[in-house]
Amino acid sequence: MNLLLIPIVLPLVSALALLLMREKTRYLKEVLASAAALVSLLAAANIFLLPQQELVYSWLGAGMNFTLRADNLSAFLLLAVSLFSAAISIYSFSLPAKGSSKWFFFNLLMTQSFAAGAALADNMVAMLFFWEGLLVFLYTFIALSQDTAAAKRTAMKAFLINGVTDLCLLVGITITGYIAGTMSMNEISHNKLTLDYGWSVFAYVLLLIGAVSKAGAFPFHTWIPDAAKDSSAPFMAYVPAAIDKLLGIYFLARASVYLFQLNGTMSLILMSLGAVTILVAVMMAFVQKDYKRLLSYHAVSQTGYMILGIGTLNPVGIAGGLFHMINHATYKSCLFMTAGAVERQAGTGDLSKLGGLFRAMPLTGLCFLIAAAAISGIAPLNGFFSKELVYKGALDTGYPIFFWAAELGSFLTLASFLKLGHSVYFGSRPEELKDTKEAPFSMLLPMTALAAICVAFGFGARLPIENFIGPCMVALNIQTPMLSGFHADKLYFVSVIVILAAVINHMLGLAAGGGKPSKSSDHIHYAPVLKEAYALAERRAFDLYEQSMDRVVPVFSLLLFKVDRFFDWVIDTVPSRATGFLSGASSRFHNGSYPLYMALTLAGAVIYILLAAGNGGLK
Amino acid sequence: MNDPRLVLFALTALFSIWAVMARSLLTSAIMLALVSVTVSLIFFDYGAPWAGVFELSVCAGLITVLFIGAVSLIRSEEEKHPESRARFYALPLAAAIFAIAGWFYLPPFFAEMAGWARPGTGGGTIGLALWDMRRQDLLGQVLMLAAGVFVIKSVFPRRTEK
Amino acid sequence: MDKALLAFLIIPLFAAVLIPFAARYRPRMADILANVTLLAGLANLAWLALSPSMIASEFANLPGDGLSLLLVGAIYLVGLCVTFFSAWFLDENLPNRPAYYSLLLVSVAAMTGVVTSTDFFTLYVFVEVLAVTSFALITTDESFAGVEGALKYFFLTFPASALIIVGLAILMLTLGSLSYENLRIFMSSDIPAGPVTFGAALIMLGFIIKSGVVPFHAWTPDAYQGAYAPVSAHLAGIVTKISGVYALIKMATLLRFFDGRAQALSEMLMFLGLLSIAVGAIAALRQKDFKRMLAFSSISQVGYIVLAAGLGTPLALIGAVFHLFNHATFKTVLFLNSASVERSAGTTDMDKLGGLEHSMPWTSWTSVVALLSTAGVPPLSGFWSKLLIILALWESGLRTYAVLALLFSIVTLAYFMVMQRKVFFGKKTAAAESSPEVSAPLLAPAIVMCGLIVALGLLFPYFYTYLKVVAERIII
Repeated sequence: MNLLLIPIVLPLVSALALLLMREKTRYLKEVLASAAALVSLLAAANIFLLPQQELVYSWLGAGMNFTLRADNLSAFLLLAVSLFSAAISIYSFSLPAKGSSKWFFFNLLMTQSFAAGAALADNMVAMLFFWEGLLVFLYTFIALSQDTAAAKRTAMKAFLINGVTDLCLLVGITITGYIAGTMSMNEISHNKLTLDYGWSVFAYVLLLIGAVSKAGAFPFHTWIPDAAKDSSAPFMAYVPAAIDKLLGIYFLARASVYLFQLNGTMSLILMSLGAVTILVAVMMAFVQKDYKRLLSYHAVSQTGYMILGIGTLNPVGIAGGLFHMINHATYKSCLFMTAGAVERQAGTGDLSKLGGLFRAMPLTGLCFLIAAAAISGIAPLNGFFSKELVYKGALDTGYPIFFWAAELGSFLTLASFLKLGHSVYFGSRPEELKDTKEAPFSMLLPMTALAAICVAFGFGARLPIENFIGPCMVALNIQTPMLSGFHADKLYFVSVIVILAAVINHMLGLAAGGGKPSKSSDHIHYAPVLKEAYALAERRAFDLYEQSMDRVVPVFSLLLFKVDRFFDWVIDTVPSRATGFLSGASSRFHNGSYPLYMALTLAGAVIYILLAAGNGGLK
Repeated sequence: MNDPRLVLFALTALFSIWAVMARSLLTSAIMLALVSVTVSLIFFDYGAPWAGVFELSVCAGLITVLFIGAVSLIRSEEEKHPESRARFYALPLAAAIFAIAGWFYLPPFFAEMAGWARPGTGGGTIGLALWDMRRQDLLGQVLMLAAGVFVIKSVFPRRTEK
Repeated sequence: MDKALLAFLIIPLFAAVLIPFAARYRPRMADILANVTLLAGLANLAWLALSPSMIASEFANLPGDGLSLLLVGAIYLVGLCVTFFSAWFLDENLPNRPAYYSLLLVSVAAMTGVVTSTDFFTLYVFVEVLAVTSFALITTDESFAGVEGALKYFFLTFPASALIIVGLAILMLTLGSLSYENLRIFMSSDIPAGPVTFGAALIMLGFIIKSGVVPFHAWTPDAYQGAYAPVSAHLAGIVTKISGVYALIKMATLLRFFDGRAQALSEMLMFLGLLSIAVGAIAALRQKDFKRMLAFSSISQVGYIVLAAGLGTPLALIGAVFHLFNHATFKTVLFLNSASVERSAGTTDMDKLGGLEHSMPWTSWTSVVALLSTAGVPPLSGFWSKLLIILALWESGLRTYAVLALLFSIVTLAYFMVMQRKVFFGKKTAAAESSPEVSAPLLAPAIVMCGLIVALGLLFPYFYTYLKVVAERIII
């Protein structure tokens, strides 16, 4: 089998094999899933190390090839997807709160398979096929993770939001392919499309919607916080934190740099979208009172940095965006894993009920500290470097406002993680948590591995930038500037100021909240104007999905129902009445009367004979 | 036109009308048989012996037997509900109308038909062409006779049992 | 007369004459003799048409025009099913048992005569024999409805005989001969058709009445409903088809409908066909009696054959012949099943029946197969014949006819679904409570026919080569 097929086919086959197993088998499913993920990881590493490969099957008749193409960017993405799959499957080994383990691993492996396919596909139709496949497993993943109605509802919400945006992507890809005359991304990149005329702008905007929605950016993010509450920690660590971000940003980069030649306006739109996502989500994250829910808003907020980075359209910014993509996946996965570990050991994710767990779970706490520091952009962890590149890219565009927005987001991020860390791991431990123990080895292993990557990519930032991001930039046909290295320039000082400000803010919050770390955000939560805004947000007034479900959909569905009833009446009631009438009449006619029958026969015969004689018979 | 022929035609017409107007179904069946007999005589007279034989055997013999069988099947019902015969008295009138219409229309019709006739095909007269080629129908006639016999065998045991 | 198939006429006739003597002291001998005669004939036919060398040469060496052979096959098949079914169905004490079998065999012989004749007068004689035998067969059990049906059959088809005779006279006068061959030659010449087609039109009208095409259909529901149960299968399955519809197909080829020599006649025939489809299907929807509904369904299906015959293109004729054959298979199954239901539940009133599928699963499922074939559901044989007919209509540019034919095929499915639900599915009624499955011999014909329906559907490509040979030969 071709090496390129292994990361797609192996998980798929393993997932189907899982379905054959009984639910009661112990560890068999886990071992199979982990083994499949690990072998795929090895294959992905192999693909990454080998020079660019291509696999072409003729498909769908003339001119449409099924092409898998592992250029540097795709291979890198495949490696990342496989890495997180392996990490999550090991992490889930002994986690009970993931729903039916058979279906969990089935969904996980299917998601991995389709994500790998989407990463490798060169033909946009093939990519769309894999992309839509993910949608199915997104639904089943959430719906089967908990046996509650809320899980089904959230699954449907995720499905509908992504379904609508995937539809946009479908239309966008169709138009793009039509304009370019080919569906192969590689061929389009040789002769990039420009945004000079309406159709191409339309196509790009549709592609953009598809990509940023997959990445979970504002305003398509609303299912993620709900999923945090209604599904499992490994799902959150896997799909919204890792896979979705990777694929969304990957395709955003492809579309914005590889397929289209963007102009200044579109760049501004992208950067604004990024900045708004950062701020809105982080404001929401800041006031959350639940471990996973807080993390989920951050998962949205961090997407903003990546979009902002790619939106700058300068090499530094794009490199920052891509680097931030992989960094974010690493630390956010790690954070969700710590959330899962804490939930498993302490039995709750409610911040007000947690506290002082650092002594009980030192390794988990340490991983959390590293990952939280990384997400907050504290030097010298990986998040610092990627954010720095994004800032630099934003400054280079000449619109410092985006830089300030990003810094403000950074400040709130750090503040919310101070609150989170303080409430969970420090302070006094509640009575009920006296017997809490450290998480099992299978959970600690992937967690520490991801934390180690955070540290390694921080201290040795040159390594990933030169080995991963640089080649990706080459794959996107961008001249790579000097990216790496720790510069003690003014950006560093700004970040120090942000850290100090966040610490002071936390002190203030603690003082205002009566020393309770979980209430350290209340002084902002209940600040005059923000109070009302938050209250509205709590009522989901800004959630497009909920609003449309509440206001637009009922009216629309009532209308459709009426239309449907009308057609039903036309094609069902009317014909059945008519045939009923006719057949009733004919039953009454066939009453067995011989003279009547004879008259009918004779009348018919007379007409027949006259017609036969008249038309060419006797003339 | 010589006399015996006219007598035969008149008899045919008489028996026909009698068959339709008869009060008893049995009578009309017998009258029908007599119609067949006179018609077969006409056939003999016109020099078509085969046609005469078959008319006599099949129509006068077999069909009459069938009719009588059928009549005996429905007889009991018939006697329970004697039908109103008033409308049948209009029949001679209808027959007269048909006859007059036929007088006007049929001769030109047959004249036109004769114009279409293609005497060359048979080589001889129409009668010759018709009856020389009829050997294959013998099988059909045999089958008809067999069918008649079995119909009688099928219908009459039941009658006698009741 | 087609000499190669003459034996298939004479042997049943001989057996029919033999039966009363053989069965004088042992009534069972009648059953055995009739069944053996027909089975032997069928085996002989199968060898004639399906021998390996014949299949290898793609039926190039078929005797005659191939159509007679196929139809003789259908006649023997239905005849065998009916006699086999009757052997177990007939009342032991029926006094006219030998005569019943003799009549069946005579009617088989007469039908063979109809399909092998090469001359209109011969055709007429055999058709009359059929009418006589049918009349006696319908009244086999002496029920009031049977006698009424028989009389209606006889008297309503009587004008048909008169019209055929008049048509024969005009044809004789204008053509100088009554053989098929002469008519064919005449129609392919350039001589203006005129009265020849008028004569043919009268003959055709006679056969239209005998086929039970709307508006000349009134005798069919009463005759089929009133007839003795196995006889209605015989009558609906094959007798009316051979005595009416076959002649229409034959005339369609002789009058060369496909090259527009008798355009008006062709159009009239097609209109009557469509009218039959519509009236039969709509009337079937609301029927309360199982057998009466099947009778209306039969009218509707005959409509398809007549419609295709009226079109007269090679494809349409293939469809017509194939549908004729299929109609023989599925309608026989349905009528025999209605006989089984009547035997088991004591009634064929659909309002009193219900839930029979539990006690009579075989009857129920063979009905499903047959009704799906009637409605034209793939891959059953009925699907192919309807497809051919509708395709032929579409290709000839008669889009309206094609669409309507398709539409009424859906109505067909609808009324059969109603029937299936009322009789076999749904809740058990009082009548269904005490109705066991009929014995295996009574089921065997239906199962064999269902096997044939499925096999013909699946092996259609082979059958199609046969039908193509037939079409080529009858259309030249």
